[in-house]
Amino acid sequence: MADPYQLLGVSRESTLDDIRKAYRRLAKKNHPDLHPDDKAAEARFKEIASAYDIVGDEKKRARFDAGEIDAGGVERQQQPEREFYRQHAEAPQGFKYERRWNGAEQNEADLFAELFGARGAGAKARGSDTSYTFSVEFTEAISGAKKRVVMADGKKLDVIIPAGMKDGQTLRLRGQGHPGFGGAEPGDILVEVHVKPHPVFRREDNNIRSTLPITLGEALAGTKLTFETVSGTVQLSVPKNANTGTILRLRGKGVPAASGRGDHLVELKVVLPDHPDDEFVHSITAWELKHPYDPRKTEGKAS
Amino acid sequence: MMTESELCQTIAYLEADALQRWIDLGWVLPQQNSDRLDFDAADVARVRLICELHYELQIEEDSMTVVLSLMDQLYAARRKLGALVSAVEAQPDEVRARIAESVKGERAGPQ
Repeated sequence: MADPYQLLGVSRESTLDDIRKAYRRLAKKNHPDLHPDDKAAEARFKEIASAYDIVGDEKKRARFDAGEIDAGGVERQQQPEREFYRQHAEAPQGFKYERRWNGAEQNEADLFAELFGARGAGAKARGSDTSYTFSVEFTEAISGAKKRVVMADGKKLDVIIPAGMKDGQTLRLRGQGHPGFGGAEPGDILVEVHVKPHPVFRREDNNIRSTLPITLGEALAGTKLTFETVSGTVQLSVPKNANTGTILRLRGKGVPAASGRGDHLVELKVVLPDHPDDEFVHSITAWELKHPYDPRKTEGKAS
Repeated sequence: MMTESELCQTIAYLEADALQRWIDLGWVLPQQNSDRLDFDAADVARVRLICELHYELQIEEDSMTVVLSLMDQLYAARRKLGALVSAVEAQPDEVRARIAESVKGERAGPQ
């Protein structure tokens, strides 16, 4: 690697301030994001940056001058590959930044309108549709919500999420897409809605399922507990002799739908204590010796 | 995708206040979700660029607006040019040859 002083075009005697100025001047001139057509800009910019990394820092510069480190040695400690903006600017994600500076958004003298507009006077074309994806919380999709979303061009839009919206469903916002051409109607915005998974609830058509852990004692003696559903808190009665796999149905506590609200199905799961002590283990094993039972008898051969 | 705090961790000298200011100014347009902001790869690269221009190259707010505006217009023009180039490439050889001829004339400048 070349001598950092030479790269920055400064002498070994230059002050730190001079080096900083030289660096800024060169970095502005060679920043790849400001020179998208210049394929070599990135390599030059990186060279300048690593040169400045050494001689722009008083301690590193002293060590370099003393021959303790060389230009390449320091370069290797540098951060890994970075991405420049120009790699993204012309990809679809970069599109939203294009229209930021055009004040009235339909006023831009579009290159294509200029090309095909004059000749095709009287030609009309409906504006194209814009697709957009965004995600909502699980509970928002169940109960419905009004969401303010920022569209690709920075325009803010209120989107009504209807109650019971399914993952992957698309909403069509009429007339909110790209402007039409020659007085034709604008296109639509298509919003594909993704529903984020819930930590506990799962959706099955219009029913909601969840698993509820209970203790061994609660399973045997039954209990009452408060339970959170998507439509509020309810009192849940766990019957006596419940077991893992027992399903309790909370009618009308599922997803709202035209055909009537779905149910919430609570599957019970008996959970033994984390660290059962001797007393617990002895009492259960002693009881089992006297009253053996085979939980696998309906499943054929035990594995 | 990255959240605001992940982004601030990734770019060491980025401060949350500055980032918020840039978002308010429309310099960065992350996707707004109910409870947080999502920055895609383009947003992250753009924040990194703004950091560099501001903290290292000392470009202040007023000048930055000009720089970003010109830069975005440059990329917009490049994108349109790219679309035009693909359209030309899809044309029959004869049409392409005529366009190439005409472009050559433009580039030579006035005689």
